[in-house]
Parts: sequence; C-alpha cells; structure tokens
Amino acid sequence: MAEIRMEHVSFSYEKGNYVLKDINIKAEGAESIGLIGANGIGKSTLMKMLVGLNQGFEGSVLVDGMPVEKNTLNEIRKKIGYVFQDSDNQLFLSTAYEDIAFGPKNYGFSDEEVARRVARALELTGITHLKDRQTYKMSGGEKKLVSIATILSMEPEIILMDEPSIALDPRNRRNLIHILNSFHQLKIIASHDLDMIWDTCERTILMADKRIICDGDTKEILSNRELMEENGLELPLRLMK
Amino acid sequence: MNQISNAIYEIHHMDTIASRDQWVNQIHPLVKFVLTVTYIAMVVSFSKYDLIGLVGMMVYPIAGFILAELSFKDSLKRLRIVIPLVCLIGIVNPFFDRVPIQIGDITVNGGVISMFTLIFKGIFTVLAAYLLIATTTIEKICYALRLLHLPEIMITQFLLTYRYVTVLLEEVNRITQAYSLRAPNQKGIHYKVWGTLTGQVLLRSMDRANAVYESMLLRGYDGSFSYMGKDIGITVPDVIYMIFWLAVFIIFRRYPVFLIVGSLF
Repeated sequence: MAEIRMEHVSFSYEKGNYVLKDINIKAEGAESIGLIGANGIGKSTLMKMLVGLNQGFEGSVLVDGMPVEKNTLNEIRKKIGYVFQDSDNQLFLSTAYEDIAFGPKNYGFSDEEVARRVARALELTGITHLKDRQTYKMSGGEKKLVSIATILSMEPEIILMDEPSIALDPRNRRNLIHILNSFHQLKIIASHDLDMIWDTCERTILMADKRIICDGDTKEILSNRELMEENGLELPLRLMK
Repeated sequence: MNQISNAIYEIHHMDTIASRDQWVNQIHPLVKFVLTVTYIAMVVSFSKYDLIGLVGMMVYPIAGFILAELSFKDSLKRLRIVIPLVCLIGIVNPFFDRVPIQIGDITVNGGVISMFTLIFKGIFTVLAAYLLIATTTIEKICYALRLLHLPEIMITQFLLTYRYVTVLLEEVNRITQAYSLRAPNQKGIHYKVWGTLTGQVLLRSMDRANAVYESMLLRGYDGSFSYMGKDIGITVPDVIYMIFWLAVFIIFRRYPVFLIVGSLF
C-alpha cells in the first residue's frame, strides 16, 4: 500500500527564509488529496520535495517508508508519477509514443513491456488515436492527456499533479475529471480549480502562511466561506450564489 | 509569420516530413546514414577537373528525391542560405587556376571547370544530407549513431540541442512579439534594449530547460538518452537497398557512365 509521510518538514531556498514550515502530512492507500492555497504559497515546492527535486529540507519525508534522499531517489521516482503544470515541459520528444515510452525505456524494460505499458497508458487516458501524433501539433487538452499518459506508463503507485486543469476548455476539463476519478492510486492534486478538487478529492489540505492550516474532508473545507476567505481563497463556483 | 516563427515552423516541418510513411522513410536509419556518408566521401574524392564523372553522381539525390516524393523546389528553398555560400567559395577559382583544359575542340580555363566541380560537389553533398534528414527523424539518426558506437555523450548532446533549439526560439518569439506589440512604430528591436532582452531570453530558456530536465529526471533519465521507439532490425530490403546504391556509387565513381552511354549512340 502506497504511503507518504511528512513530519515536521520545513524548507527554504535561502537560509532562514522559509517557504514551508512544520508541515505534517500522512497519506496512504488510494486517497485522493487536494492541495489548495493562494498563489506562491508553496504547493509546488511541497510536491517537488516528495520526488527529491527540492532537497535540503528539515524534518523527515518518507515515501513507502523510504526517506527521500539521494540514494533512494531512483526507487522513489519509480513509484511516483509527477504531472507538471505546463505540458510543454513534460513533452520533449517528437511523438506521443516516444514521450510515453521515455520512462519505461529508462527503467530498462524490454521492448514488449514498453509497448504494453504505452498501449495501456494510452487506453487509460483514451488517446490511443494520438499514439503517433507529433506533440507540438496537439491542442492543450491533448497535451495534458499525453502528459498524464507519460507517467501512467511507469505504473506509479502515487500520482502528483500540479494544476492539471489549467488552460483546459470545459469539455477537456470534464474529461480530465473522469479520468482522474478512474485512477486508484494515491493522488495529490495541487490546484486553484476548487470545483475540480470538489469532484476528484475526498480529502483536502489547505495551505497558507507557509503552513498547513487545515486538513480534512473536502466538502467541509471548501464550503467554509470564512476559512476560505481568511486564507486568500473563495468558495468553489458551484457554491457561489 | 515573422522570421522566428518561420524557423520554428521549418524545424517542425522537417520533423513532419521525416516521419512520413514513405517506404524510403522506413529504410533502416543506419543504412541511410552509411549511404549518405559514403556518398559524400565519394563525391568529394573526385578530382577538381573531373566534372563529367562528378555529374554522374547526381543520380543518387535525384533518385532519392523521386523515391521519397520530396519537392526539389522546397529543398532548394530551404537550402537557399547554404548554396550561395558554396557558390561563393568556387567563384574565385577561374582567377587563380589558369591551366588550359581541352574539351573536344574547345580549350577551357581549368579554373572554370574546377569552379563548377566545387559547386556541384557542394550542392550534391548538401542535397544528400538533406535527403537523409528529410527521410529520417532525428531520433532515428541518433539511433544509427548509437549503433555505430559513437560516444553516448555526443549523441545525447546532439539530440538535446536539437530539441532545445525550439525551446529557445519559442522564448525569443514570445519576447519579440511582446516587444513589438508595445513598440508599433519601431522596425526591429532598439539597440538600447538588446542587452535586457538577451538576458531575459537566457534566463527564461534556462528556467524552461531546467523544467524539462526535471521532468526527464522524474522519468528515470540517467544521462543516457536511449531511442524511444522499438528497436529496428535490418531487413532484407534494407540490405538490398544498401548494396544497390553502393554498387551504383562504385560504378559511377570508377567509370564515366554518361560518356560511355553517350559513346554508344
């Protein structure tokens, strides 16, 4: 069973200038967790710590019981799929197939296994028809789905997503929500799209002032106008009247 | 479309034509790479006065263009920067090389012949290289280089440079567009902001390159950039294609085929 555990974690890019302070999170199983907070509050920083892109933190970060440190990064990155906010950063090869095969190839799987994983990732995201399409010719929605497929081909136990619905039109956004709900991995989704968080996550972590302000049931947190406004957010559109 | 958008379009366009489903595109990249290198070596090995022998070598690019259904006009358009350069190098030959050469009843200045030889050599080699990149994706060319056991770091550098060029161009495009929209009466970019804009482009490209690198790291990148498609085996048609062209190269290099054919009539 996948597990993430952060205990008393603080992080700063410059000494003494903390961007995250005393973060404590425990997540396991097939939980789907929304990570919300105003711009620049450290959501991406926190997620990057889980995959070792931001190192030099204080406290302890464990993924499946393994501490996030240099010699465990390879193993940890095999378990975690990270979808970047900007799909153009995630897709750097010519075709969807090549980009989706990049992870499994690097982990040394046979050609048959790579082909199987790519086919499955394409099927799960419903984009088999885009297999040989060049990524630069794709729309934003298609690029996002290919980005998600690039991590699914690694068959991760944990999925981290940074603003997955950004720049998607309503239909693509709805499609993305369906796809996210069909995944049974442990998911952490950082987003400002509170309606999407409402639809995809049963648990939400609200961050403000470098800390976790609140961690609990999504609907309870997102419908608490006072709490949301105090922390620089608003109610989801569906609750606005 | 401005020049930068045009350059980005050209790069993408080359990717598109290289990944078409033509049978020439499906030939093993190693075969095409070896043929191209051999062809170039043979073309440059002609002596500077052997114009007639050299002209015979045009058979490869011409046949290649027809088989791959490539537009000759488009290729010349794309090569418009290289070809004048090649011509410029040869144009001084008639002034320095004044050896008289007898062609039939006419005596010609050797420099004129060597000028045309040099120009043809340049055009043929450039067309052969164009034929290779127009029928083989950059990933497949790198795959061929890997099969030839070229150093991994060189191949990775080559591949990533190609990929990052568009990243850099896109950043330049964004910045120049933003600039021109707010400086409608200016032609180009004022020299006073050249430094600032160059710095911006550099910083943004570094940020972008770093994000791409992070995304690679998270998917197991360890410094070696393996070919992402399925391994490609050399088939019988590939071997036949290679043997055929090598034979043609040798025959055309060894014998003045055009003269021989001409003397028959």
